[in-house]
Amino acid sequence: MPPFDLYSPTNLRDALEFKESKGEGTVIVASGTDLIPRIRRRQTAPPVLLDISSLQDDLRYIRQTDGVVRLGALATITDLLDSPLFRGKLSVVREAAEKFGAPQIRNVATVGGNVCSASSSEDLIPVFLVLDAKVKLISAGGERSLPLRDFILGKRSTALKPSEILSEIYFESPSGRYWSAYEKLGRRNILIISLVNETLTLSLEDDLLTVTSVRIALNRVAGRVPALAEKTEEFLTGRSLSGETIAEAQRILASELKLTSDFRASAEYRIEVAQVYLKRLIQRCAARISGS
Amino acid sequence: MTKHFITLNVNGTEHSVYVDSTDRLLDVIRERLGFKSVKEGCGTGDCGICAVLRDGRLVNSCLAIAPQCDGSRILTLEGALEDPVMMKLQERFAANNAAQCGFCTPAMLLASWDFVRQTPDPSTEETKAAISGVLCRCTGYYPILESVREACKEAVKA
Repeated sequence: MPPFDLYSPTNLRDALEFKESKGEGTVIVASGTDLIPRIRRRQTAPPVLLDISSLQDDLRYIRQTDGVVRLGALATITDLLDSPLFRGKLSVVREAAEKFGAPQIRNVATVGGNVCSASSSEDLIPVFLVLDAKVKLISAGGERSLPLRDFILGKRSTALKPSEILSEIYFESPSGRYWSAYEKLGRRNILIISLVNETLTLSLEDDLLTVTSVRIALNRVAGRVPALAEKTEEFLTGRSLSGETIAEAQRILASELKLTSDFRASAEYRIEVAQVYLKRLIQRCAARISGS
Repeated sequence: MTKHFITLNVNGTEHSVYVDSTDRLLDVIRERLGFKSVKEGCGTGDCGICAVLRDGRLVNSCLAIAPQCDGSRILTLEGALEDPVMMKLQERFAANNAAQCGFCTPAMLLASWDFVRQTPDPSTEETKAAISGVLCRCTGYYPILESVREACKEAVKA
């Protein structure tokens, strides 16, 4: 493995002071499920790693207070599966966690790491995007919050400053005629990088047909970055769900996706799958809303 | 590169070692402490052959940097051999030819053991998901799934 130094802070304050003085060039490591393979493949060569895995007391939690769900950066994927919060309207989180990696990976991989890795293989980013999640960034000088969509700047690029640590991902707990769902396609069912993953949240009017609001995110929308399919969302909002509406939404989604082919799949194939998933997700959510 | 002094409890015994920043948990357990059931396959978290239980959770030891594991409690196959459920699993693996080349067998046994203890009456799908992180290139998995199922049944009886 290429050489690097590792700093293990004694507490959160120590970690933030380290970031303040030596943040430039330092990469944060928690479980290392993404970073260590990348270092070994020579895709990145950080001189210094800041190990935050010992800050469990400060950064590992899942809680809901005043209608806001808060995930500490060190909450693991297994923690998401164990939490009772993701069994109802927010079951999208559970669905994504079930298809995430394999047990050994889920037991250690963290939500903060998934978000900060900011690539199309990070299965939770589309989920947090449709939930309109925000990220809390802390530094020795204070803290700030940013919508996740503004935090992700591009492939493996985020708005995190050298002095900052992502401490929390939070979003409002939904209510009303609302449901959420997730689909993922890979070459096998488990422990595989997504060819396409698509997430959708849907709110309907009392008539159970008119779309009050909809959020759609994919692991790739343009290039190789997870993002919202805003044009498709805009088209569907306020419309009555019918076969025709969904077919038109599928066409708009196809035109909105600016993909390139790569060794995993062609752009055409990904678009085809994304269209099928759009219909399936709308139908699944609408069925759950009508049934509940 | 900085040296780190860490203490690991492996299979019930404390070991204190100096490690480099770049040493992985796998390197320490296998090469320094000599627990040879833990092997390196891909080294990138894809094959699961290096799986151990760390503080009670199944993890890939190739992905953990050793200094991060200071104070951890590690269990490898060597430390679980005498456990009744593990003995039953080994017996079923042997009876069903669930090991061919044997390279994945220690990790497969650990993953199965971890699963059987938590899930007394699993479905085939649950069993597949539980061992999905350990790759086997010989058996086609069916003898393994059969062995886990049989071990579960007998564990429930016992």
